[in-house]
Amino acid sequence: MKEQKKKKRRKSYRKPVKWPFLLLMMTVFQIICALQIHMNGTQEKTTTLVVVFAVYITVEWVYFLVCGGFLHRKSFEIELIAFFLTGIGLTLTTSVYPDKAYTQLAAVMLGILVFSVMLWILGDINRVTKLRMPVAILAVLALAVTLVIGTDINGAKNWIILGDGVLSIQTSELVKVAFVFVGAATLEYLQSTRSLTKYILFAGVCIGCLFLMRDFGTALIFFFTFIVMAFLRSGDIKTLFLICATAVLGGAGVLTFKPHVAKRFETYRHVWENATGSGYQQVQLLIYSVSGGLFGLGIGNGKLRYVYAATEDLAFGMVCEEFGIIIAMTVLLTFVSLVVYSIRYARAARSSFYSIAALAASSLLLFQAALHVFGVTDLLPWTGVTLPFISRGGSSMMCCWGLAAFIKAIDVHTYKRYDKIGQS
Amino acid sequence: MKTLSRRAWLLYIPAVAFLAGLCILFYTFYTNADNWSMRKANRHLYTSGTLIAAGNITDETGAILAKTADGKRQYNESRSIRTATLHVVGDAQGFIATGVQTSYKDELTGYTFANGIYDIKKYGKGNDLQLAVNAELCAEAYKALGNNKGTVGVMNYRTGQLVCVTSKPAYDIQNRPSQDIANDKTGEYEGVYLNRFFSGVYTPGSTFKVITSASAIDNIADIDTQKLKCTGAHTIDGGSVKCLGKHGTLGFERALNVSCNSFFAQVALQLGTEKLTATTDALGFNQNFTVGKIRLAKSTFDLSAASKLDLGWAGIGQYTTLVNPCHMLMIVGAIANGGTSVQPYLVKSITNQTGKTVLEAKTEAGLQMFSASTAKKLQELLRSNVENYYGDSKFRKLEMCGKTGTAEVSTDEGGDKPHAWFVGFSQRKDLPYAIVVVVENGGGGSSVAIPVANKTMQKVAELYGK
Repeated sequence: MKEQKKKKRRKSYRKPVKWPFLLLMMTVFQIICALQIHMNGTQEKTTTLVVVFAVYITVEWVYFLVCGGFLHRKSFEIELIAFFLTGIGLTLTTSVYPDKAYTQLAAVMLGILVFSVMLWILGDINRVTKLRMPVAILAVLALAVTLVIGTDINGAKNWIILGDGVLSIQTSELVKVAFVFVGAATLEYLQSTRSLTKYILFAGVCIGCLFLMRDFGTALIFFFTFIVMAFLRSGDIKTLFLICATAVLGGAGVLTFKPHVAKRFETYRHVWENATGSGYQQVQLLIYSVSGGLFGLGIGNGKLRYVYAATEDLAFGMVCEEFGIIIAMTVLLTFVSLVVYSIRYARAARSSFYSIAALAASSLLLFQAALHVFGVTDLLPWTGVTLPFISRGGSSMMCCWGLAAFIKAIDVHTYKRYDKIGQS
Repeated sequence: MKTLSRRAWLLYIPAVAFLAGLCILFYTFYTNADNWSMRKANRHLYTSGTLIAAGNITDETGAILAKTADGKRQYNESRSIRTATLHVVGDAQGFIATGVQTSYKDELTGYTFANGIYDIKKYGKGNDLQLAVNAELCAEAYKALGNNKGTVGVMNYRTGQLVCVTSKPAYDIQNRPSQDIANDKTGEYEGVYLNRFFSGVYTPGSTFKVITSASAIDNIADIDTQKLKCTGAHTIDGGSVKCLGKHGTLGFERALNVSCNSFFAQVALQLGTEKLTATTDALGFNQNFTVGKIRLAKSTFDLSAASKLDLGWAGIGQYTTLVNPCHMLMIVGAIANGGTSVQPYLVKSITNQTGKTVLEAKTEAGLQMFSASTAKKLQELLRSNVENYYGDSKFRKLEMCGKTGTAEVSTDEGGDKPHAWFVGFSQRKDLPYAIVVVVENGGGGSSVAIPVANKTMQKVAELYGK
């Protein structure tokens, strides 16, 4: 009886959503966005506007038609969410920074490419195991190089700028994908304590580098992801508490002995008193977020767009003001749904690697969204992290799509040849 | 795998925490939306600190007091009207806190949490707001104050409509003399941003005798037949309450006519602390009142540490007692209205961008301040004051009832002149209007405040009389 009930429930949540209808609705939404930009004249070059949206919508449809029609995939929840969020980000960039529309489009294409490549890599667990070490080494190297030759932007030295600013890479974003990859792959075959020690060492080095770069937001994200993965593997809450306590104490120590670090957080809960100084961006965000109301002012009608880093650090406010608080809340709910999706699919995953990777990736995205939204609205200290998929930026776009691949891979139906095994 | 999926369930904790955070965020947005959106940094509504997205402000006749045109806030064409209505209209920068441009800025812009400032962008302006005041009447009252500081308020005591609210000093809003105000040493601009009618408090002086009288009517059975002696002062416990005249032996009505301090000090002593305090409590002393969204300064009456001599002084409106002019107008209005006060209103209606009326002032009953019989008796006494003492010639054809006050504010010889008060109302059926006049350091109530009241009330008769 009980078993039957369980089976029934499992069946019900595996039922894939009907993607053609949703995709059509999403396309309509994106066309409306494009039309609004056109009518507002915020993107002066009509060709740019048409090309960006035409390419994006085409890629969307091609992806769905190839995967749905040719590869016979059935569930598309992750892609629908990713395309929906990316579309909002693309709309904002096209409208706010007309010159950067093509760059952002290229970033999105790269992101989708990363997603596809990652899905292919994740399809073979042996490949994953083989790649584990090289990826770990590359990740540490990338961070180390950034530490040495990196450029300081907004107080965090986490950018590598090549060729006079032609190409700028935020290595910490790329390492996020590697972090989840290495973590899940290491913990998959946990034969010896040695491999666990190696992973803890890897995590420690990564987080340490980020700390030295003064990129505290990303360091926190890594730490949180590390905790999630360590817990999933060991189930040992006591040790985790110990780690957290040590981290908190360590953080408190840093804040005490390095006053310049504490200074970064001194506007926390005091943004209105510093409305023209250090709290300027946040105050602007709050004012314009509520100015948009529940339904938004429409794309191009906002004022937050004129504030520095509007589509990056303040992306949430941009969505609030121009798309409305309802859509902004919906955007945030999608991050919750990614975590719920991963939890629900964890049991049916092909191996614990997929479960851990998906759970870690979705928690990472949720945690980052939380830091972004609650930080910029002054409910938590502001760390200046981006809003996944929506904030402008190539590195972060690739990172988000890369992480989405982990979540996608948890569903056995992603890899068709395992379907038969699963059924038998 | 089983253990792993069980552990995965623990990730619902961060998911739920995130949802809780979203609820908190939404709640924070919802509760702070009005405050945040109205900040001067909001360039949807403000241009260099000036509220431009507000709708029109008109007086009761529909005359424009403020509007936005060509991206600038513009005001009435007449300088005297601009100056006289400065404090009720307020400024777009928010210096005058009780002005409707500040206290009603949410309504004026038409901001709502659901629509944000969308309608303002769509229509290019906010909601229109019609005031209860008559601009011409305000200008007349302002002029009547002459060179003195002070305030005049006139209210329809049946409906609560404040037809006149003016406060002096003021300035022409079209060119605020910010330098003069900042460097003012003569006191010419003292409290210029304050609407004295709503935010001022003054020693009531003899106008308080109306309240002492009310208490006497309620609590002293033989007050009408009592004859008390005035020798120019009344001695209490070694000190004395001085009187402006030597009135000899006189009764209640005559004592109020001539405003005999000795008489009322003795009445106060007969009443005692408790009963006098009970009367002031019923009138709303030590209570917060609001006129729409505007908060009145609190009138205070406190005898908790008073000696007998202090009680005597309190009975004639001195001691520590302070009264807000608008509150005093409500009290006088209640007497005229048969004991029940009406809630005064300053904003007559608010109309949104599509022409729909979103707020309409209604007549609301306020405190039951006096019993009907007490109110009637007070009406007779106040009518007697004008008829038998000030003279109807001072208020031609107005059938006024009233009481003057000369509130001492300095204990030194040659110190500041007293505040001159007049409170009263017309008994004409077609003129249900009550008035309060305060002239700061103006001198005697009958010589200074009565002419101001007369000029204002004559204009009221001209505007509303039949």
